[in-house]
Amino acid sequence: MDFSILIQVIVAGLATGGIYGLIALGFVLIYKATSVLNLAMGEFMTLGAFICFTALTIVHVSFWLAFPITIAFAILLGIVIEPLILRPMIGEPIISVIMVTIGLGAILRGLMYMIWDPTYRAFPQIFPPKPLNLGFAVVPSGLLWGFVFAVITTIVFILIFKFSRTGVAMRATANDQQAALSMGVSVKRVFALSWSFGAIAAVIGGIVIGNISGINIYMGDVGLAVLSVIILGGLDSLEGAILGGFIVGVLQNLAGLYIDPLVGGGAKDVAPFFIVLIILMIRPYGLFGKVIIERV
Amino acid sequence: MKKIGLFILSFILCVGSYSIAVAQQQPTICAVHPFTGRFAFAGIEGSAAMQDVVDMANETGGIGGKKIQYYWADGEYNDDVGIAAFKRLYAQYTPQIMFGQSTGMTKALGPEIKSRYKVLYSAYTMTSEAANPKENPYLFIAAPTYAEMFGVLLKYIVKEKPGANIAFFYSDTEFGREPIPAGREMCKKMGLNLVAEEVSQVGGVDITTQVLDMKSKKADYCIFQGYVSNPIGSVIKQSKDYGLNAKFMGTFWSTELQLLKELGALADEYIGVSAYSFYYQEDLPMIKKIRDWTQKKYPKIEYRSQSYMENFATTLLFVECFKRADKMKGGMTGDNLVKALQSIKNFDMGGLMPLVTIKDNGIPVGRVYRGNSKTVRFDPISDWIRMD
Amino acid sequence: MRCGDFKENYIKDEEIFQSRFVKFWLALFLIFLILFPFIANAHMLYIANMIGFAVIGAIGLNLLTGFTGQISLGHAAFIGVGAYTSAILITRYGVSFWLSIPLAGLVSALAGLVIGIPSLRVKGLYLCIATLAAQFIFGFIFVHWESMTKGITGIHIPPPQIGSFQFVTEKDFYWITLFFTVLGVGYARNLVRSRMGRAFVAIRDRDLAAEIIGINLFRYKLSAFAISSFYAGVSGALWVSFLKVVIPEHFPFMLCIQYLAMVIVGGLGSIIGSIFGAIFMTLVPEILNVLSDVVKSYAPGMGKLIIPFKQVVFGFLIVSFLIFEPRGLAEIWNRIKKFFTLWPFSY
Repeated sequence: MDFSILIQVIVAGLATGGIYGLIALGFVLIYKATSVLNLAMGEFMTLGAFICFTALTIVHVSFWLAFPITIAFAILLGIVIEPLILRPMIGEPIISVIMVTIGLGAILRGLMYMIWDPTYRAFPQIFPPKPLNLGFAVVPSGLLWGFVFAVITTIVFILIFKFSRTGVAMRATANDQQAALSMGVSVKRVFALSWSFGAIAAVIGGIVIGNISGINIYMGDVGLAVLSVIILGGLDSLEGAILGGFIVGVLQNLAGLYIDPLVGGGAKDVAPFFIVLIILMIRPYGLFGKVIIERV
Repeated sequence: MKKIGLFILSFILCVGSYSIAVAQQQPTICAVHPFTGRFAFAGIEGSAAMQDVVDMANETGGIGGKKIQYYWADGEYNDDVGIAAFKRLYAQYTPQIMFGQSTGMTKALGPEIKSRYKVLYSAYTMTSEAANPKENPYLFIAAPTYAEMFGVLLKYIVKEKPGANIAFFYSDTEFGREPIPAGREMCKKMGLNLVAEEVSQVGGVDITTQVLDMKSKKADYCIFQGYVSNPIGSVIKQSKDYGLNAKFMGTFWSTELQLLKELGALADEYIGVSAYSFYYQEDLPMIKKIRDWTQKKYPKIEYRSQSYMENFATTLLFVECFKRADKMKGGMTGDNLVKALQSIKNFDMGGLMPLVTIKDNGIPVGRVYRGNSKTVRFDPISDWIRMD
Repeated sequence: MRCGDFKENYIKDEEIFQSRFVKFWLALFLIFLILFPFIANAHMLYIANMIGFAVIGAIGLNLLTGFTGQISLGHAAFIGVGAYTSAILITRYGVSFWLSIPLAGLVSALAGLVIGIPSLRVKGLYLCIATLAAQFIFGFIFVHWESMTKGITGIHIPPPQIGSFQFVTEKDFYWITLFFTVLGVGYARNLVRSRMGRAFVAIRDRDLAAEIIGINLFRYKLSAFAISSFYAGVSGALWVSFLKVVIPEHFPFMLCIQYLAMVIVGGLGSIIGSIFGAIFMTLVPEILNVLSDVVKSYAPGMGKLIIPFKQVVFGFLIVSFLIFEPRGLAEIWNRIKKFFTLWPFSY
């Protein structure tokens, strides 16, 4: 048993897990306030990566300007999409709402194809490329900075939710819409804002992943594996999202280390889904989610 | 009642008229390209290449005066859609030559092409099944098979470092897994040590465990198969971080400029195989012809990738087969086209490929290139290696 | 003249097809279906067969999701299980095609039972994700259980035959598809007006109340999963015998989405909705293809732009249907029916 490899694998898993947590955060932010599972998250991510890329390479601004531009774009995306597509679906069965998000994803993918063409592109180097050497393990630069961004973003959002007025309004709406309305909270605004927040998390995730593995219009497919993270952490828990991300990242890497050689590869990618099934059987509301599941 | 009857009648007429296929005496090529989906970049370039060759041929008189017709459809890199598109194109235009979008579609249609359609067929694939004249006489590829490309790389490795440790790094798809069994055999035969086999999804974010595995097994060379760019870049970058000192190689579809751009300074680490010359090798006559044509018709396009070159070469062969079959008894039928294909020996493609001789419905020749980070180009580091 | 829909005895009240309008059009449609292969070309027959398979699969999914309210994102996995079972039975064990179809359905039903077990613990979104996980796990099994499924290489399947007649072309296979589709539709239509069908709907609407009035949730939920997967398995088995090859890449997640789209656009909780949805989702891409061919011949440059446009149109259609007609095509059909029931006094 080579301990150094094990530790390295766990560290890398934590770093990747941070990135998963970031995308999971996006899902949770939207779900918490609106009870909608947005399966177009992958396309939001990709869109964010492309906007940042365009800002960096075609308009040639520095990253310090490109980043806020991308965030602004994400806010705009949320504010535009929510009233246009999700508002008419209030009250419809949940399967229809999920379907709408899938349709939205298809539209975005088609638009991205038309605006940028489908070649693979390298993301310009925005982080220093030196890896972090912790002595017992090495963290490659892409993963490291992804991790840093993920943690910072999560902390920022948790603080917003806990202490700012907007955050409290969002929590109130998630808890009980009628009560929130009667207290003067504009539920419409909260919905739009929660979509914007989700979009922000997604675009940051997109930038980070784009930096690691290059961008192309189909890079959003990683969004599905993240579903296991939100189940593990609880569909409506922010802390659960990031912690779930860590756990899934590490478990995935452990599966890759020990199980891949046994089955000839591919175990790493299917591991998150096994995790989902196990969690759903034992503790369906996840580590930190609210207990609302009824059982037969 | 009368209205309903009229409605039914007109409907039947529409259906019936649609099904009347116009019998084509014109040489016709129909292609299914992956315009959307993961290989979209290849589809766009490939289709442009076919269009260019057909236009060039038609400008110089076509086939004995007849203009070549070319029709295409989008297969979305989805076999269902691709097969439907194939059947639709065939029903509409009854072509003599067809082109498919992927390995999967080729395998699915293979038996039917042999028994029913009998068209000359090639595709965006280099699977050994398409270079197997006994099983699939109508299928061919204008390239070496993936297994043969592995052979070219392994031969190169044996010259450089006999008995080296080899790792295969491939994607969990048909495209990725296809040449691996043959690769294992060749390693044994050439006395090379296959120490690791790594699998990942296309576009995996984290490939740490695979890189660490290669490091612990002390791999000297790592051959990629089944990827276009992702995650080759991540693997090479992260192997530097983790201290894996291996040389990286890849087969045809990843030997593209876009990978070099992504690797940046690490481009010197990558070695690839290709059967075609590159767009920047301006001294070759065919490349010059392509450049002039591109600059005249599409002045905004700066570069044509290897997918373009592959389709260009294939379509050149299509045109040549048409010309030869036209002179045979029976004209341009599928069987005559196959005979024409088999008769191609030492065909000159003006430097795009070495002199082409079809062997076993393929062209088993390749050249090893190394990436150059300063010029962002591939430099040839071997001569044309024949795999037979 | 009489107008309106009134029954004069109990037998007429319990008929499957209730109004004259419906019966007339149904008869016309059946005649059309029988005449179709003689007037259509190979491509249209291919489409017709694909519609048939889609109808069977969509009915299966609708029974589970539309009638019983259990959201399933794993339908493609069950189609795959049925497809592989049939292929393995035919090629390895020499079972005849006709026997392999129901066997494939049964094996799929078994898989459905297993995957249905989480439905007893979780509901709604969580069940959705559980079925999604099952989808990917089965995908993994298809690729890696090479001794059975031959992995990536796939299995080639010989055409079905009766005696010495082989069903090789699309036209031959059409009759097989027609047979199974009519059978499937008939059974489903009967099922939903039977006791089991009513139990399903009760579970969908208010499962706690259903339990109170004595419906055994355990038994009926699992039955829903099993029957739905049986349909999926049969659809898969037919499909791959038609294609004559089965590879793991035939059953991606996208296939689940397509079936869900069929069921939702067609109308949840309605058999005829499944049929409409299947026809719609299969024909729309083909119509877009024909349109793009037309565009290509008149304006070759625009041809490239049309391609991504298909994706946009697909997404746009789904979104607009869901926003403007959330109960799907079946609802439109219902409105037409109601109009004609009272015709000519339908105001």
